[in-house]
Amino acid sequence: MKRREFLIGAGGAAAAAALPGALRAQAATVKIGTILSITGPGAFLGDHMKRGMELAIEEINAKGGVDGKKIEWVFYDAETQSSRGVTATRRLVEQDKVDIIVGGGNASGIALAMVPITERAGMPFISTEGSMQIVNPVAQRKWTFKSTIDDDQILEVAADFWEKRGIKSVCLLADSSGFGASAKEQLEKVAPKRGLKVLYESFNPGDTDLTPQLTRIKNSDAKAILCWTITPSGVVFLKQAKQLGLGDRAIMHSYGFVDDRYMKLAEGAAEGTFLMSVKFPVGADLPDSDPVKARIADLTKRYETRFKQAPNQFVAQTYDAINLAALALKGSGGDKEKIRAAIEGIKNYPGVGGTFSFAADKHSGLSKADGCVITWKDNRWRLAA
Amino acid sequence: MDGSQLLQLVASGLVTGSIYALVALGFTVIFKSTDAINFAQGEWVMAGGMIGAFLHASFGLAPLLLLPVCAAAVALIGLVSERLAIHPLKAPTPMLLTLITIAVAITTRAAITLVLGKAPAGLPSFSGSENVAVFGATLPPQALWVFGITLLVMIGTHYFFQRSLLGRAMRAAAADREAAGLVGINVSRMAMWSFVIAAAIGAVAGLIITPLTLTSVNAGLMLGFKGFSAAMLGGLGNLHGALLGGLVLGLLESLSAGLLSSQFKDAVAFVVLLVVLFLRPAGLLGRASTERA
Repeated sequence: MKRREFLIGAGGAAAAAALPGALRAQAATVKIGTILSITGPGAFLGDHMKRGMELAIEEINAKGGVDGKKIEWVFYDAETQSSRGVTATRRLVEQDKVDIIVGGGNASGIALAMVPITERAGMPFISTEGSMQIVNPVAQRKWTFKSTIDDDQILEVAADFWEKRGIKSVCLLADSSGFGASAKEQLEKVAPKRGLKVLYESFNPGDTDLTPQLTRIKNSDAKAILCWTITPSGVVFLKQAKQLGLGDRAIMHSYGFVDDRYMKLAEGAAEGTFLMSVKFPVGADLPDSDPVKARIADLTKRYETRFKQAPNQFVAQTYDAINLAALALKGSGGDKEKIRAAIEGIKNYPGVGGTFSFAADKHSGLSKADGCVITWKDNRWRLAA
Repeated sequence: MDGSQLLQLVASGLVTGSIYALVALGFTVIFKSTDAINFAQGEWVMAGGMIGAFLHASFGLAPLLLLPVCAAAVALIGLVSERLAIHPLKAPTPMLLTLITIAVAITTRAAITLVLGKAPAGLPSFSGSENVAVFGATLPPQALWVFGITLLVMIGTHYFFQRSLLGRAMRAAAADREAAGLVGINVSRMAMWSFVIAAAIGAVAGLIITPLTLTSVNAGLMLGFKGFSAAMLGGLGNLHGALLGGLVLGLLESLSAGLLSSQFKDAVAFVVLLVVLFLRPAGLLGRASTERA
């Protein structure tokens, strides 16, 4: 008996040594690790983002999974703290040994803190956060990808919007988080190209008074004010801009603020606000020729059936990210290099947030064509003309 | 920058400063009677706003009516916290109490998150929504409510500690626990009352600021921090100091953001705080050194 056991053991060990890939392929599941913040200041977005992933994984598993193997989902809450995000990343890499990580704590700062770990470990990582630094410079971000639109692309959309209205002088009122800092950095590059004069103002995420900044802006000749934050300070911005009589300027928000709950909290002050966005919130307004329109309607229906609430674009962001991950996992047999190369090879993937194309020098899937300007009117989103 | 804009900055600084002053007042009340720093103060401010927003959204309670209701509800939170976490202590040293309040803060925030959710919440203005012009500065009507209520609470607290039997007993207990005990004051009961009062003041601050700034379960941390700074600036344990410290801190933030740069708003405020504490370490530093001796 002993001898036979020994033989089996030895045989197994030999096989494991000779064919690690083959053994891994026999694993019963593929593992996707996720880090989002469902507590802390980022919690506001986290619940929707988590549900977007849940729906995607349920659908994939219901259809038989990836290569006939079910997706096993390992989820950690980053609590909107970079340190928690980093700890969770180490666990996903070292203990859970996931095949890919999707989601970076729904705060750019957390995703940025995770990148050095995933890069060093050679772990494919699809971030669902905004900042472009997450995937740039690409030479140092071999394993990192992103399912959101890049700041420079969305700022080009904004520049088009300003050009159409003859606006040459604008103000960027960005918060001091990684999300806001990235916007400032990119606008500093975009503005000279588009002949824009920009006044840069800043505030802390969560600040409750923006009167000083808005007073300075009132003094300037800025004809548009673009606020860049995901915190409730953005509501204070809307209310105080109205209070100080800045209604004659174009009041704008970034894609981080496209949330109807925020608009409702601003009460009347949100009416007519312009927001830089992906097309998701205005799916119904899109021309029928836009292929995204049908996909948005489709996901909305499924999400509403599953969760009894309306989805937002953050749902699309994570839903797409999981599907991209599943696409890359297919046929990889758990080989990380194959997964990575597969993501780089994805071209014209029909996602809900837009059409994704990656390349060796482009690790952000969406582009300018996936962005648009929307406006809040009569308690709903409309495509801005 | 012309006169009316300067006035606008001053006005907004005073609104923010009033709230800091109320939070600082909460710190002061507990410090006066226990010598401890209560780090749950900011969470009570948040709780006041969150409970108020919830009651308004669910039952349509008028904002003014919410004032006593929320003050009572959060006072109850203060009372329960003190009875459960502070009262059972055999040797309640200030340092121990301070540490326990951190636990109280975390527990309060978690409880509010569980019951009322994570989403930011707002309240309508107490009266009207038309902005009022004061000497060229535009203020939302709620700002006037903030000024008025802050002033009332300040005066009320002042008289409470100067005139009422309970207030004076609380001061006695703070001045000398043993002596106060000898003349028949129930010292641990005084600590309880200070928690109740500080929690009620916090609730009022949270409720009157919510129409202007919204609130969310995470708002308490920052408010507590700023209120603590204001209390330090004015001199911990001093009621007038709380008012002065709050207003000065609010004005500093507003003016430095408006006149210098919004990037350095907090930096300027805290550099001034540090300088003041170096030159006049009357607050926490002064107390701590006498205790050690």
